[in-house]
Amino acid sequence: MSSERTERFFDLSALLTGFDRAQLLGTGVADQYRRTLEQVVCDEVLDDLLRAYERLPAGERREAAVRSEILDHADRGPVARNLIMLWYSGTWRPLPDDWRKAHGTSPLDTDRVVSGEAYVAGLQWVAAGAHPMAARPGGFGSWALPPERIDA
Amino acid sequence: MTEDQRYDVVVVGAGVNGALVAKCLTGRKLRVLLLEAGPAAAWTFDGYVKRLDDFYGVYAKGPEAPWPAAVGAPQPDTHDVRTGGGYFVQKGPHKYASSYTRYAGGSTLHWLGVALRMLPEDFSLHSRYGRGRDWPLGYADLEPYYRKAERELGVAADVADQAHLGVEFAPGYDYPMRRIPPSYSDQMLAATVDGMRLSLGSEEFALKIRSYPAARNGIPRGDFVPDGAVDERTDGQALGRDIGQRCQGNTACTPICPVQAKYNALKTLAKADHRYLHLVTQAVASRINVDPASGAVQSVEYKRYTEADSPRHTVHRATGRVYVLAAHAVENAKLMLASGLGNRSGELGRNLMDHPCLYAWGLMPSPAGAYRGPLSTAGLDDLRGGAFRARHAAFRFDIGNDGWHSTTGAPDSTVADAVYTRNLFGKQLRRHLGSNLSRQIRFSLAVEQLPSADNRVTVDPQYLDPLGNPRPVLSYRIEEYTLDGMAAAAEVARKVFERAGITDCTNPDEGTWFPSVEHGDEVFHYHGMGHFAGTHVMGDSPETSVTDPDQRSWEHRNLYVLGSGSFPTMGTSNPTLTMAALTLRTADRLVAELAS
Repeated sequence: MSSERTERFFDLSALLTGFDRAQLLGTGVADQYRRTLEQVVCDEVLDDLLRAYERLPAGERREAAVRSEILDHADRGPVARNLIMLWYSGTWRPLPDDWRKAHGTSPLDTDRVVSGEAYVAGLQWVAAGAHPMAARPGGFGSWALPPERIDA
Repeated sequence: MTEDQRYDVVVVGAGVNGALVAKCLTGRKLRVLLLEAGPAAAWTFDGYVKRLDDFYGVYAKGPEAPWPAAVGAPQPDTHDVRTGGGYFVQKGPHKYASSYTRYAGGSTLHWLGVALRMLPEDFSLHSRYGRGRDWPLGYADLEPYYRKAERELGVAADVADQAHLGVEFAPGYDYPMRRIPPSYSDQMLAATVDGMRLSLGSEEFALKIRSYPAARNGIPRGDFVPDGAVDERTDGQALGRDIGQRCQGNTACTPICPVQAKYNALKTLAKADHRYLHLVTQAVASRINVDPASGAVQSVEYKRYTEADSPRHTVHRATGRVYVLAAHAVENAKLMLASGLGNRSGELGRNLMDHPCLYAWGLMPSPAGAYRGPLSTAGLDDLRGGAFRARHAAFRFDIGNDGWHSTTGAPDSTVADAVYTRNLFGKQLRRHLGSNLSRQIRFSLAVEQLPSADNRVTVDPQYLDPLGNPRPVLSYRIEEYTLDGMAAAAEVARKVFERAGITDCTNPDEGTWFPSVEHGDEVFHYHGMGHFAGTHVMGDSPETSVTDPDQRSWEHRNLYVLGSGSFPTMGTSNPTLTMAALTLRTADRLVAELAS
């Protein structure tokens, strides 16, 4: 991925996940996710998705455009949703059949955890105000305290 | 065939019962051979941590995920319940939905750690309520051994919470560690549910959210020193007292406590006197040889494999003065049946029980801090006892701290729902998940099951594992008594949800797949609790039971058969503490016998 493409990848990821770039970098697995995308999704679709991101309008119309130009788009939507799933849970889910018919099937397009690090780095644990199950525990008795305020 | 040297005692199985008996006997300088079918992968701290790393990377994070089976020692897997494949041959009509692990340490490697005593009334179910069987011993016989077991396993609880439903403690006694702090959601529930009244038939009950006793390290009382992680090295055994002395709240008791703050049987094994202990792992007991005239056991044959991924093995024979089977309720019965051991009562392999368990899940009215702390720190156990047991099963609710992880595969499934179904993204997605995940709550409705002659383990020469040992063939039916208990439990759960302001989201069609059973118009989806029991029932007479009250075989007097397989009934408590108490009682008798 060119550095420019990498920039767009982070910008798009931040928009889709609701986490900022520093938080995404802090997971330590951004490169794994980028490679996962590149392994399963052809350059053509990936570049088209990133260009669609660049063309999004600013201001009030932006949110509606994210839906119409990315999430509801037949080629881009499934990839964008899988990218969100990657960031939140560290898992890849198979793309829909229609998408595969149009763009081909990769042997890596299966239900899988990208890596042990990706499991631990899932943003779902941050969103929940919790910790990954079996990692980064809160310490003895932490569970008795009220949950921290969950910011978004 | 290789002949081993003669030992005082040959023990089959290095789980909690085998480890306890090995520790007691070696402590009295008796020479013990301990045969374990599975590998010893968790015997060093590094080996254990490797299991944890493997677990992070696997997609299906079920109870067996960190503990894959060796080819030579296959084990049931909960995924096989759906496919019908795997180690068990299930003849039905219902699926037996539990699993166990064949490793040094046994299923304590992935148990939850709840360590409730049985109720006094559980020991006399038949004489009190006309149901099931009576035990050949009572609560008072076992009470001193409950205390010993609570110390051996390291149980954290306060007597003040646990002394109810007739459960009495010795004067001045309290558990070795203070109770584990209840989770924030336990506290929220207590604020609304405590004091709630409801009736079952003509009996009225007042409910209380009650802290669970757990074999989980917390703040010690008196001079008690919690056992930390195990780290067995070639230059000597060690118990890492500085690691795992307190639960850290990893929220992963099942399938793997990262720091070993939760008890596992390797801790007991590490404390056995290694000068008198010979542990042989990857050694599958395959036949018990008996003297046809006297019935005395003469030797145990076992198959030893060196590679976990290959069935290649050598055959050995071990001899001792006394033999102890501590291989698991199913494995004990299987080995005895396959060896053609005496079965005068016809009860061997029968009375297979579990606690079939329903899930209820919902959303708390405000953030409750799900996905933090031990998987469960409290439960509702007021309905474990009462006159209603003449009509239907007793039950007990675990209150989960792990959101909808067990019920739907959350948090992943919650994220997937938000992304793929609700089409959310960005800040809105994050807010939705923040609000939803933290409010998730789960009750496990564990229901009592009675012994039944038709629920059984058998062996059949057409079903063999890769070493040529029989695979367990299971017949299992969930009977009316338990189904009526399920109906009552589900109704109580609905009322408790309503009282606590929990939005009921229970929907088995959208949850993780579990086997189902019909009851009138209702369909119950149940999972197993891993509480196998009843297969070598103890009793007062060789006509009606497999072992005597000391877990000693009626027909083979130098053979002891340990574990929950000895339970005539199992009430509603998790069996580990009770079988540990029974094993410690048997160990006392063994020591007395062998010393004389």
